[in-house]
Order: sequence, then C-alpha cells, then structure tokens
Amino acid sequence: MSSVEEISNSVAEDLEEDGVEEENTVEEAEMEYEEPVKGGYIFYRDRKEWADLEPVPQDDGPNPVVKIAYSEKFTDVFDMFRALLQNDEKSERAFALTTEAIDLNAANYTVWHYRRVLLQALDKDLREEMKYITAIIEDQPKNYQVWHHRRMVVEWLNDPSEELQFVAEILSQDAKNYHAWQHRQWVMQEYKLWDGELEYVEELLEEDVRNNSAWNQRHFVINHTSGYSDSSILDREVQYTLKQIKKAPHNESAWNYLNGILQDGGLSSFPGLLEQVTELQDTCSSPYLTAFLVDLYEDALETNSSSYDQQEMFNKALELCKFLAEEKDTIRREYWNYVSRSLQNTYGSGDPVSASSDPPPPPSSSQLPDMEPSDP
Amino acid sequence: MLTIVFFALSGLDVLDALDVVDKPGLIEWIYSLQVLPTDDKSNLSRCGFRGSSHIGVPYSSSKGPGAPHTYDSGHVAMTYTGLACLVILGDDLSRVDKEACLAGLRALQLEDGSFYAVPEGSENDMRFVYCAACICFMLDDWSGMDCQRAIDYIRRSSSYDSGIGQGAGLESHGGSTFCAVASLCMMGKLQEVFSERELKRIRRWCMFRQQNGFHGRPNKPVDTCYSFWVGATLQLLDVFQYTNFEKNRNYILSTQDRLVGGFAKWPDSHPDPLHTYFGICGLSLIGEAELRKVHPALNISMRAFESLRQLQGAWRQKST
Repeated sequence: MSSVEEISNSVAEDLEEDGVEEENTVEEAEMEYEEPVKGGYIFYRDRKEWADLEPVPQDDGPNPVVKIAYSEKFTDVFDMFRALLQNDEKSERAFALTTEAIDLNAANYTVWHYRRVLLQALDKDLREEMKYITAIIEDQPKNYQVWHHRRMVVEWLNDPSEELQFVAEILSQDAKNYHAWQHRQWVMQEYKLWDGELEYVEELLEEDVRNNSAWNQRHFVINHTSGYSDSSILDREVQYTLKQIKKAPHNESAWNYLNGILQDGGLSSFPGLLEQVTELQDTCSSPYLTAFLVDLYEDALETNSSSYDQQEMFNKALELCKFLAEEKDTIRREYWNYVSRSLQNTYGSGDPVSASSDPPPPPSSSQLPDMEPSDP
Repeated sequence: MLTIVFFALSGLDVLDALDVVDKPGLIEWIYSLQVLPTDDKSNLSRCGFRGSSHIGVPYSSSKGPGAPHTYDSGHVAMTYTGLACLVILGDDLSRVDKEACLAGLRALQLEDGSFYAVPEGSENDMRFVYCAACICFMLDDWSGMDCQRAIDYIRRSSSYDSGIGQGAGLESHGGSTFCAVASLCMMGKLQEVFSERELKRIRRWCMFRQQNGFHGRPNKPVDTCYSFWVGATLQLLDVFQYTNFEKNRNYILSTQDRLVGGFAKWPDSHPDPLHTYFGICGLSLIGEAELRKVHPALNISMRAFESLRQLQGAWRQKST
C-alpha cells in the first residue's frame, strides 16, 4: 500500500467518521432542546460516573485551519479522552473509553498507545484482547495501528500459535494485503515458523499464479530455509517457475522470480537456460520473455563468456531491443531504444547499429536538481 | 491533519495558486503544532511536530517553551510535512527548534537503521526513513540520523526482483522504492550505495510499472499516485523521459472527478487530497502546462526548493 497514503488514509478515515454520522442532522434540529438522552445513548459529559472529570476540548487557537465537522458523539468521547490523558488516569473506565474512541477512529495512534499502557497497568486479559483485535482487523485490514497492536499483544503473550491461521484468513479476503504479509513474515522470522509455508505459497499460486506477494513469499521462505545455493533446489525452482510460465505466459511475477533467483550465478551461466527459454518463444511469448533474453545476452557479454559467440550475443540483444520497442513492448519504446544505445556504447565496436538517432543518455546528475544549498 | 494541509498547500503551490491562502494564519497554526522542549528540557527525545491538536495541549504558536504532557510527542511524518509546509509558505523556520527536532529524530531510529514514527513506538519501515531524510535535508543537518545504518536498511530491503520493499524480505513496492531512492539522492549517496548494474535493474523494475498509468507492484491495478511515486523515482534515475507520457497523462486525467474536481486512484472513484496532490505532481513530471516543476526527491515545488536553498545558504554563512 502506498506509503504516505496510509498516513493520509488514517486521517481521511478520521474525516469520514466525523462528517458523515447520521446523528448530526438529528442533533442540529434538537440543539436548543438540550436533552442528554438521545435514543438511550448518554454522552460522557452527562454520565454520573464521569462527573469528576472536566472534558478537555481540542484547542486550535484563534485561526483553526482544518475545521473538521466532528459529530457530537465524537467530540464528547474525545473531549473525555483528552481529560483522561491529561491526568494519565489508569482505570477500567479509561480502558472502556479507549474502546469507544477506537470505534470512532481506529487510526488514532495515541488512543492505541494509551490502551496498551492500560492493558499493562490493569493487568488485563490479553487473550480477550486478542479476540478484540482480531475483530477489528477483520473490519479494517488496511489500518497500520491495528496490526501493530496485534503484534504487541502477540509479543506480550509470546504466543504466535494463532497468527498464521489468522493471516491466512485475512489473505483469503485480499491475497495481496501488504500489512498481512508483513505481519506473517514477522511472525515466521520471530518464532521460526517455517514449516508448511512453501506448501501454503503453492496453494496461493494455484489460486492465482499472478499473485506477486505469493511469489515474494516463496523467495522469502526458501531464502530463510534451504537457500538457493544447492543446485538441486535451484533446478527445482527453475523448473517450477517455467511450468508456471507455460500456464500463464504473460506473468511478470514469474519472470521476475526466474530472473531473480538466477541473478547471482549469472543468467548466461545456467546450463540449458537459453535453450529452454528460446523454446518458449512461440507458445509463451511476452515482453517479459523477450526482456529476459536481452538480460541473458547482456550477461553473456558482461561476463565475456566463452560459451557464447560474443558478436552473436551483441547482435541478438540489439535485435530484441528493437523487437521490443517496435512490436512487443511499445509502451516502453523509448526505454528499449535507450537500452539498445547503452549496449552499443558498452559493447559496440564503434559502428552504431540503428535503433534511433537520439543522442546518448545524459550523464547521471543532469536531470537532478542540484542537491547542494545555494551560495549566498 | 498536517499531512492533509501539506497535500493542499503543495498542490496549490504546484498549481501556482498559493495566493488564495492566508499564509500568516497558516504559519501560526503550523507552529502551534510544534512540540517544543519544556523548561527542564526533559522531553527532547519527543520533540518535532504533531499532526493535530488532538491531545488537548493548550494552543501556543511556538513563542515559549513547551507545555509538559505525558503523552505529547512529535510524529516523524508531521515533522516532515510541517517543515515542508513552512518552507512552501515562505517562512524562514526561525521558530523551529532545529536541535530539538533533530534530537527527536535520533530517538526514533532503530538499530536496523529504520525509523519509528513516534517515540512511544509504532511500526517501522521505509516511509519513515524517507520522512527522516527529508527532515535532515530541509534542516541541512544529517546529525538527525545515522546515515550508514539507514543505508544498510535500504540495501537489505532490495528484493530479488530489484525493486525495494518496505523492509527486508518484503515485497518490492513503488512507494518504498521511491522512499529509498529519494532518501539516497537527498543524502547524495545514490551512486555510492548502488552499483551501475544495480541501478539499471532498479530502472528496469520501475519502467515495468507503467501499464498506461502506473501501478505499485507487478500484477496490481494502476493507481494515480504511482504516477508520482514511480515517475519521480524514474526521474531521479534519469530515465523518466523514456516513459510514455501520453498514456500516463490520459490515465491520470481519467481519474479526475468532473463534479467536484480533484483526482482519485481510479476512474469513477471518490477523489481525495492525496490522489489529487500526486495526480498533479504526476502531471508536473511530464511537463503539463501551467504546473510548476516538482523536486522529485523532496516532493515540493522547485520554487519552494529554491527558497529553501536560499535559506540554507544564509544559515551556512551565519555559521562560518
């Protein structure tokens, strides 16, 4: 999920909560009536058990910039929250209020922090809290604070036994939820829970072979267990990936995985790979396949591999860049022309092979604004 | 709320429409969000800017010491956007307690090089590394962070597919890739940290995010804001010029709301400040007429950046 988006979303959720409460319109009409009981709900400021606390309003000074139309309920709860906070009150009623505050705005990190302080100070039942946070996350699975809270409770309990199943539940609703995957990886690493994960990943890839998160998880698991240095593992993974590619050729995730696991050894060094991939060209054509071949040829050039005819590698690489630019991946036409020029500059013999007559790529920082402060 | 103010102000700035804004009023309000050291300076590690007045600390526009409050502390994204807003509004940052901000920032960095958002603890990931880098860059003072540790975190967050995730092992993502690359650029260390070969692969990963507009991860739907996150990254890597401007532009414009204005992540969806701001920035990157240029790393207009540079020049002169 987009980085700052989450910060803004949390505030956006805040706004949505406040502006759209149906109570608002009813309350406006009844403003002069001043009745403390509306449909059974009593504001905190009117509750006997809270009479000792003076609510604390938000203070934005003479010129408030962002005037949010909070509902009366929201203001009432948070005015009381601010009062509790000011006194650092550690009580059951404070704990109960955090539940209300979270219900109104689950993205308020101060409320969550205060709740955690209370959970410890009051020695609350953390198993109950797990049930609570489970329900909240089910309802708002893209909120940062709720996942962080769950992590804290799991740490306190030192009990990850429900986590993998829980995350799987969330992923069954959105198989790419970044928070869910992050939590899952944390649990697995922290508590060394690697068993069965490769099987889980394969299940997900059966359901959707294009799930990039699942491919990433595959790499994560293998990296942390067997690793890729064993050639039988690497072979297995290459064959698995090629099989998935045959099922769904136009799948960037599979190609990225294939490329990724073979990077270190070098694409052109893996025996039989060029043949296997070339074979796929007719039935499994895609821009990713072609780009993969360009990378393979480039690797042969870079390593000056004696297994390949250097001139042939060079010519083929340029030919494929042209093919990508003109036919297979036209949206990136200018980019493939640039790749072609770069290859020519690096490996060419001086006679430019045409792709375009554009000038060579600009030197590194010319596009960048000067990062240094100006001289006075 | 400060983040929303940032989207609005910076957006207006890129639109060259800041004259509709009550600058002095806004500056006062932003300064009221600064968490200043208390008289006994016992809260230095909690200094910075708040996102809003929601804690209930009494109003004070940074004209005296901070009021002690057990639960009052800054938030790294609010310190970043607070400073950026002040710069955009032409303020000289003279009421910013820079040392306090930097102390607050240092307190947020973890051993692995990443940052919390708040001293009480929170999640930690690349977003906050970026916020930290922006703060140091704007204050022209890198003592606010251990750069080497942050660099290590960034390197460890590179994925097998050469994109960069929010942390080690996590899926590569357009947002975190931007945060990482932009942070390194602001440190002036992009070429030091990544080899030319690695940079080529990051370029390739980013280039493949374009579908018409851009998405943030392979096989995910496109979303207007990635026109900036990925576009700006490509700009920092010198290859944005090779993207397809037309398709990108058409996508962004298709997410515009014809009734209320603004942009959404997708067509026929509700617009919001974030996507509106990044839609505008995305268009600015392709040179859309009547939009100011945007600094691709710091994410403010070049006009605002220039005034920041002037300010920093004056600071440097004063200290020599």
